[in-house]
Formats: sequence, C-alpha cells, structure tokens
Amino acid sequence: MSDRALQDRVIRALADAPYRASPEWRRQELADPERLERYARFLARHFYHERIAHFFKYSRALARVTGRRPDAVLKRPAFETLLPTAVLGSRETARAVARLVVEHVASAEPAVPIPYLRDLLRYEEAMMVAEAGPRVWREDTMEQGVGGGEWDVPVTVEGTVLLELAYDLPTVLPKLLQSWTEPPTAPRKATKLLVARSRHGRVAVARGDEAVAAVVKLADGKRTLAELARSAGLEVATLEETLKGLTELGAVRFSTGS
Amino acid sequence: MATLMIGAFYNPHLGAELARATGIDHLAMADPPAPSDPYWPKVRERYTLLLHDYLGQLSEPLDGRAIERARALAALYRTPWVAEHFQCLHTEDGTYNLNYVLPPLYTEEFLARFVANANALKARLDQPLVMENIPGFFDVKASQLSEPTWLRRFFEATGTGFLLDLPHVWLEAHYQGMKPERWLAEFPLEHVVELHVAGVEEDEDLKGLWIAPAEPSVEMLDFLAHAVAHCPQAKAVTFDAFSPSLTSDVLFRSVERIRAVL
Repeated sequence: MSDRALQDRVIRALADAPYRASPEWRRQELADPERLERYARFLARHFYHERIAHFFKYSRALARVTGRRPDAVLKRPAFETLLPTAVLGSRETARAVARLVVEHVASAEPAVPIPYLRDLLRYEEAMMVAEAGPRVWREDTMEQGVGGGEWDVPVTVEGTVLLELAYDLPTVLPKLLQSWTEPPTAPRKATKLLVARSRHGRVAVARGDEAVAAVVKLADGKRTLAELARSAGLEVATLEETLKGLTELGAVRFSTGS
Repeated sequence: MATLMIGAFYNPHLGAELARATGIDHLAMADPPAPSDPYWPKVRERYTLLLHDYLGQLSEPLDGRAIERARALAALYRTPWVAEHFQCLHTEDGTYNLNYVLPPLYTEEFLARFVANANALKARLDQPLVMENIPGFFDVKASQLSEPTWLRRFFEATGTGFLLDLPHVWLEAHYQGMKPERWLAEFPLEHVVELHVAGVEEDEDLKGLWIAPAEPSVEMLDFLAHAVAHCPQAKAVTFDAFSPSLTSDVLFRSVERIRAVL
C-alpha cells in the first residue's frame, strides 16, 4: 500500500466514527486510539461549528430576538449522542446536525414574532445539507464515474432541493446581516428557491419558476431532452435555456444515459 | 537581519478598526475579501498583504484552476510571498475532508510528492513560495522521518521559504514533554521567512492545550524572541488569529506585545 493510501486511512479514521470503531481500522494499530479519538471529536465539533456559523448566519443574526444561538447545539447532549455515528461531510450527518439546530431555534418563543422563521430555518437547513457529500478537489478527477458517449441526458444532481416557501426570503436575508433594532420583515409571497451545489462544493441559490420545478423533478438521467420537454410541457428552446441555468448552478448535470 | 514587519491577519469583522489602525505593518489574508466589504479598498491601499489562503494540498499537484486562483490572489494582494501548508487533509477521491489541519506522513514518498508539487507551483508563481509547518496531535506509526528532518530535506530540495508557526512547535514540544527551545533547534531555521505566533488554550475535546485566537502568553512571546534570534532571514512576524470571535482589543494588544519583545 502506498503512503498516500495509508494517509487516506488516517483521514477516514478521523472523519468516519463507525470506521474508527471498526476492527478493520483498529487492527492496523496505526495510532494511539485514545489520542486519535480526542482529535476526531475536536475535528467534528470544529467541522460543524464552521458549517453552522456559515449556513445558519441569519438565524444567528436573529439570536438576540429568539434567544437561540444556532451553534449552542454543539455543546448539548444531543450532539454528543451523534458523535459515535458521525461521518464528517456526509449528507446524513449534515442532515442530523442541521436538524438539531432547526429544532433548537424553532423552539424559541421570541418577544417579537418572526413569521418567516420557519421558512428561514428550512432554507438554512437545505443549504447545509446540500453542501455535504464528496466533492471534486482537482479538475482531472471531474469525469470519474462518467463513461464515454454522448452527453445528452440531463439528471438532477443529488442534494439539489427546490424549496417552496410562504415568504419572499431573498428580500430579507441581506437586511438580517445589517444593523437593525426591530427584526426586518419579509413579504408574504409564495416563493420557490432552488438550492444546489457545484462539484467543487460551492452552494448556490436561485429563484425558481414552474419550468425549473418541472425540470428538477423530471430530470432522472433517463429522459432525453425531447422526452423531458414533452413531460414538462416545455418548448425545447425554453427547456434548453432552463437547463443552461441549472447546469451553471450545479443543479443538473448531463450523463451518458447508460 | 533586516527590519521585521509585525502584523496580523485581516479579520473582516474588524475591518473598520484595521482600516484606520497604526502600528501594524502587514495583514495576512486567509480568505479573499468579500465583494461587499466596505473596508477592503482602504485595507488594500494601506497595508502590505500576505497571501495565506488555502490554495490546495501539495500531496497532489494543484490543477490549473487552483494555480490561476493563486496567481489572481497574489496579484490582487501584491503579496511579497505566497504561503501554503504542509498538510494532507482530504482523501484523494474527495470522499473525506477534515476541514482542519493534519500533517502528512513524514515519509520518503510524501517528501517526493511535496517536493515535486511545490516545485511545480513555485514555477507558476511570480512570487516566492513559503510553506508552513502543521502540528500533529498524535503520531502515526508509518512515519519514517522526524518532522524537522523531513522539513529540512524539503526546503533544501525546493528552495522555498519556511513559514515557522511557533505555537505549532511549542505544542509539539509540550506534548512530547520537551523544552520548546530544544525542539525548535532541530528545525531548519535558516530557511525561515515569516513566523506565526498566537495563544494556546485548553480544549475540552483534546483534554489539553491547542491553538486559539487568544493573546500569546509571556512564555510564548519569550519563545518568539528566542526563535527570531535564530532565524537570520526572517522578514515578518504575524499574530496568527483569524476568527469571528477575535476582538480588536486582543488583536491590537497582541501586535503591540509582539513588537515590544522584538
């Protein structure tokens, strides 16, 4: 085994708690298990602190009204309970940690009502979950898993979410990060937001419409462009324009269909 | 020894204070400036800026996109040198990522990888490359060389500069039960271009001391003075704290105290 492969095992042991506890890892006796465990727990708290700080920054800005700081969950027993099964960067662990934050903040009884708080938490949770998963670190590994052939079958990328919200969140988000005395308000208006992640791990958000909703729902990697246009009830030109935007966002990619 | 620059990291939440501060010679940039940062133009105009972003791990070659990003940031900052770390924190297939520091195995294979990839990066930059040491909290039995020996061979093979992170050395000595000065003496100090200094604090998970965005202790500052005296090529000392929890008081007092001991 190469040293690089060995390093990967150490990285995995630090990131993946079930692997760290497995006989497969333990019998290698590469590192002191107690010190490795301490460092792994330290990394886990650091890893999710960074993500909560980034993705729940709007809830953090509202903490002086809600009394609930999102990152407080990292010091609570429920987070400790997650640690033996946590896999840093996995979608499952991101979902579990984000859920803890949502439950913590949603249970607040703010002095001033924040009608869009539920929408906001759904949005922040979707961002954090979308960001999780393996990523491409170098361009020359981008095509792994994709065979040769024509790239004409669109598929919605795993983790892409279309949120249907009751409030127009994009109008209030920047205001939340500015100085305010009363919490900024958001217009009550049905709003579709698409949350997607690029292969490099960059999460992006865009307003969605009916065409976007249809494509995200129907692009299954099997329907060709013509079939997708028919199923979605879209003109091919409209579909192509929609797909262009979705591809740039990372919400859709093209596969060989094989 | 030339006059040392004394500086800190650019913490955007302290942008207003940093834009008008005195007594700071340079700012290290861990992240690109946000497009909405109102203090960035002033900061760029006033300070020498050091590129200290995550460019990529040099256990693998940086791809064209990463190199172009490094070049663009170096040009934006007009940085005198470009910094990267001796770290290997995500798996080759991208499945696992620690998002925090982890040194490579100190082996011949990793030495060859880092030398080749650092040389390739260096050839694409218009500024010198400096590389920062990373602390290990536990030993991996597969390592073949001591960290100082591995680093010395790396610097001799690449001609890159050494960004010496002193708290990292201090912590390793602490956990080995050694005097920091004795451990430091084993490092290739003749290659040091820049030094980092910061505080250490008790961490509950580690059940021990670790790097923190805190003021350096008197002991750490004395260690800094000792180290600087043994780094003939050193050009800068940076207070290494980059965190939203860092206060302006801690940043400015730390820089002042660093300046006072040098």
